[in-house]
Amino acid sequence: MISGHAQSTEFDDDSLNPAVRLRGIEKRFGSIVACDRVDLTLQRGTIHGILGENGAGKSTLMRVLIGLVLPDGGHIEINGVRQRIDDPLAAAELGIGMVHQHFSLVDALTVWENVALGEVRRLNRSEVTRRIGEIGKHYGLDIDPDARVGELTAGLRQRVEIIKCLRRNPSIVIFDEPTSVLTPQESRKLFESFRSVVAAEKRAVVLVSHKLDEVLAATDQITIMRHGAVVDQCPTATADAMSLAHAMVGRDVSLRSERVAFRLLDTSERDTAQRRNVKASTGAARTTGPEPSTPRQDPANVILSDRASVLEIQDAVADIGRDVCGLQGLSLRVHATEILGIAGVEGNGQRALADLLSSLVPLNSGSVMVNGSAVSTRSPGAMAKAGVGVIPEDRHDSGLVLDMSVEENLALVDPDRFARRGIIDRRELRDTALRLINDYRIQCEGPDAPVWSLSGGNQQRVVLARELDRQPKVLVAAQPTRGLDIGAIEYMSERLRALADSGPGILLISSEIEEILELSDRIAVISRGSIVGEMSRAEADLDRLGLLMGGSAA
Amino acid sequence: MDLLEAVWDIFTSDATYVNGALAAGLLLFAASGEWVAERSGTINISVEAMLLSGAFCSAVGIHVSDSVIVGVFAGVAGGLVIAAVQAEMSHRLAANQFVVGLTLNILVLGLAAFFDGVGELTTRKAAPFSVPLFVDIPLVGKALFGQPWPFMLLFAVVPVSWWLVFRTRWGLEIRAAGSDPQAADVSGVDVNRRRRQSIYYAGFTAGLGGAFLIFVSIGRFDEGIVSGRGFIAIAAVIFGGWTLRGTVAGCLVFAGALSFRISLQVLGYTGIDAEFLQALPFVLTVVGMAVFARRVRPPAALAQRFVRGLN
Amino acid sequence: MNTRIVEWVGLYLAAALMAFALSAVLVEASGGDWLPVLEALVDGAVAGPSRWGQTLGAAAPMLLVALGTIVAGRAGLVNIGQEGQLLIGTAVSVYFGFLIGGPGPVNVVLLCAFGFVGGASWALLAGVLKYWRGVPEVLSTLLLVTVATQLVAYGLKKRSLLLADDASRGNRNQVSAQLSPDNRLPNLELFGNEIPMAVFIGIGAATLLGYGLARTVWGFRVRMVGQNRRVAQRAGVSEIRYGLSAMAISGGLAGLAGAAMLAGGGFQFGNYRLVPGFSAGIGWAGLLVALVATERVLPAVGVAIVFGALRTGSGFVGSTGIQGRVTDVIQGLLVLSLLLPPAAMAVRDRRRARAATTART
Repeated sequence: MISGHAQSTEFDDDSLNPAVRLRGIEKRFGSIVACDRVDLTLQRGTIHGILGENGAGKSTLMRVLIGLVLPDGGHIEINGVRQRIDDPLAAAELGIGMVHQHFSLVDALTVWENVALGEVRRLNRSEVTRRIGEIGKHYGLDIDPDARVGELTAGLRQRVEIIKCLRRNPSIVIFDEPTSVLTPQESRKLFESFRSVVAAEKRAVVLVSHKLDEVLAATDQITIMRHGAVVDQCPTATADAMSLAHAMVGRDVSLRSERVAFRLLDTSERDTAQRRNVKASTGAARTTGPEPSTPRQDPANVILSDRASVLEIQDAVADIGRDVCGLQGLSLRVHATEILGIAGVEGNGQRALADLLSSLVPLNSGSVMVNGSAVSTRSPGAMAKAGVGVIPEDRHDSGLVLDMSVEENLALVDPDRFARRGIIDRRELRDTALRLINDYRIQCEGPDAPVWSLSGGNQQRVVLARELDRQPKVLVAAQPTRGLDIGAIEYMSERLRALADSGPGILLISSEIEEILELSDRIAVISRGSIVGEMSRAEADLDRLGLLMGGSAA
Repeated sequence: MDLLEAVWDIFTSDATYVNGALAAGLLLFAASGEWVAERSGTINISVEAMLLSGAFCSAVGIHVSDSVIVGVFAGVAGGLVIAAVQAEMSHRLAANQFVVGLTLNILVLGLAAFFDGVGELTTRKAAPFSVPLFVDIPLVGKALFGQPWPFMLLFAVVPVSWWLVFRTRWGLEIRAAGSDPQAADVSGVDVNRRRRQSIYYAGFTAGLGGAFLIFVSIGRFDEGIVSGRGFIAIAAVIFGGWTLRGTVAGCLVFAGALSFRISLQVLGYTGIDAEFLQALPFVLTVVGMAVFARRVRPPAALAQRFVRGLN
Repeated sequence: MNTRIVEWVGLYLAAALMAFALSAVLVEASGGDWLPVLEALVDGAVAGPSRWGQTLGAAAPMLLVALGTIVAGRAGLVNIGQEGQLLIGTAVSVYFGFLIGGPGPVNVVLLCAFGFVGGASWALLAGVLKYWRGVPEVLSTLLLVTVATQLVAYGLKKRSLLLADDASRGNRNQVSAQLSPDNRLPNLELFGNEIPMAVFIGIGAATLLGYGLARTVWGFRVRMVGQNRRVAQRAGVSEIRYGLSAMAISGGLAGLAGAAMLAGGGFQFGNYRLVPGFSAGIGWAGLLVALVATERVLPAVGVAIVFGALRTGSGFVGSTGIQGRVTDVIQGLLVLSLLLPPAAMAVRDRRRARAATTART
């Protein structure tokens, strides 16, 4: 079924002029080839999935189609006519619309102003609000046109994005990784309603995703990209997950961690149970852990609450600005050697939780205990000092200083370690940096290289190296694999698992349910700033989690 | 003389209101354009230079042509030239907007002094123009409706600024560029182009402000003619919390303080030092910001440059 | 790497040439002659006897102000109110200097210390407003310049504050007393030039600051706060404490510049007295020095010397029949044109870097 180029399937199509035909699209950024002579054909009335790992070039390809990136070579045909698309406006005129994740909304403007932004017609409020109402009715996307976008929830913002795109009545609609802010139920519903509309109205829809099961569930046709090139193309009906996965990475996939990377669910419980057995016995065998007196237990019935709790949050209440969900009475407990997964739709307090444990958000009420002693939430750096390591959701936001060098970033949290009487000992700093670069296989030009010059995966390794080198009592990993390619995801998963086995507790915050299910020992669901349900891995399944995440009792 | 007595005299004299209107006029011209520029994300420090350049070019314009209309157009051109440098350097070449602004202020002051030394300019005020009936309104009639005609442009510039920003697509894009340039860009707005245009608009109104100085309030050019009132216009925008209503209020308050000083001097009252009244607009703005800064929201991307692919 | 350096040098040279060419056009257009102006400029700045001392003397306070801008910049603060901080610093130094008095060398040190404290407190006002009330420091420092100017002007009218007594001021009514000769900063004789002491203060401050920012934990933390305050807070660095300390040093250096101008006398700076217009735009010029030098210490030294040369040269230009203020024009054009190369290169570099790292996602 591997066909290499799109042309081979073209002849099978009965329609003479497909909605979009990309031919030989080439794009280089410096020495990197983002798109290597890509051919792609999109038919009317179908949903076309573009699958590939991060960095495969799928986003760049779509950005070429939408006019945000100018290609170095190749051309674009829309409805059989060759076109030049220099900017998003030109794309809009050709009937191409893109639903962005959340980057195209201006918080300070109202819904109708956002919907009207970027058009060329005379500004007419009543006409825009009327259209918003119509679209809302037609697609089931209800919204108040006069609401300020900054005050909407993530789900409603996604709605505004979709309306903004549909308002121009595009014949070609591109969804760029749309489901991270929706519950599984919501995204299923969205694509079901889309399927019927797409077929009826003869639109061409593209779904860009790195999630195999999502693409399998929602599309009619699948194109797979790897290293900037199209490596496979097939109708969804004939596709199966394993061979798609094979095509995505270019080798056979068997390891569990790789399946995490694909966001593929493993239905068997056997492996997890096995792992926990192994872990329990290693945990008990250790004699130098935080709880040396732990009695040897029968691996089959490890009772988690018997273990020492390394992190305990009680009734935490916190605000982080009026636009984002804070914490509303959140309580949780992480034990040594376990991974507690926090599942939830993005924007339900995950950010506040991670910020709280990074000393970035003070509590209005409630308490945080690390290793049994209370930690102030108001003094900067108190969490780090108490032994909380953090891999932040956005490493550029609170994990790294991009303009500083690798070695400086490795010393960020604790520069006094490398200093004598306030003056930094450069040799000691250099030695430590070299050791960590070696241990964590950080690929960089050297300790002096600025961190911005590293790839995303290597930047993440810098964070990981720094946090783990301080030997934390508990590690908070917030969306630790987001934006990484498959190799980096594997590495991260293995590291986290090894770490948990060696002693500390891990709080894994992720909006990828599959990641949570694969890695966690215990799962808690966060919704509107508090924990709404908790279960062991064995009790968890997708439906139950999905319902909890959506806010309904399971 | 008693302060209360002096205040009474001031509030009942036509001259106070005329002076107040003159001071407010200049600030309003400068601030309405500055407000638009700030809504698009630029703190346009060179408004000071724009005013000075506008005034100088107006003076040259009337010197050459002996026509006020030509002078006004020359003033606008003077404002636009500075706007061009500020806009193209900070929003095409992505240079630091403060450096460009500060440098322009120094450069234009130097140029003004340099050319002022070259020769005398023959200038005059425009002829007063009275709106019948309205001019007879007690106290404020003469101040608002008995001024030379360039003053009347004010009645257009302020509402037009509001209309542009809140009722046109251009204004929507200006506001989007000022609060979230990335999102605006993705939506298909040419952020830097809109920002440049808003600076040109600021240059246009400040150019009118310069012409106003020559043809309505002073009558002749010298290099100290602006002396920091561009900064007061910026202060007015901040004082007004980036709303036009607040900006206008700020201009009126500051103009009141400025003309109050002049009136006190005219009346010979020396109980309050001129320095305090001169510093008053700035102190008020700082205090106002200290009280309101957490409640008003500046445009989120104010003073941040936008380069696609960065950030 | 070599081609890069060539590119840089070429770009800067072209930019500077452009500025001078524009200035020449301007002078010629106004009926003047460019060559004599240029000659006078070079004579006044460096070629004439003992002009180097003057040039460096003018450059030193600019360098101090620029260093202050750099510290604030590293902490992520945009301090553009040095003109005001310089004036307040000088005023405080004059007030307490005369109040306390004391023998020569001690008093000079006191003058400098009070200058630093004065400038620091004026800058701290903006810093406190920022952290306590959320007032953007860009705006407050700018607005406080005028307040400072008026405050000093007011002080110069009051005998109890800064105004000199009747005997020592003649018929001038806004002037402070004059520093007695033994309370002044001495000049050092070097290569036939009288080099003002302030130059060495400037160089000392530059060295100290450069080292402090690059090598100490304090400097590391200041840079952390400046580049990513969330990372800093996570790491236990109090943004308020480090921000305020940077702001204080920033204003303090401006105040120190003022004190050095007062006690160093020399170039145009009021002849050992505080007078209206004493600052002579040094605060603005120093700010520009830092910004043109893209907030780096070593380039700031070079830029300060160039600006100092333009200033001392301007005195000689008058003799050619052209307004001495033409140097303001040259300086302005120079700054604008020097902004182009780094802006162009920075955008290009960042684009390349981004492209190489994240563009594929």
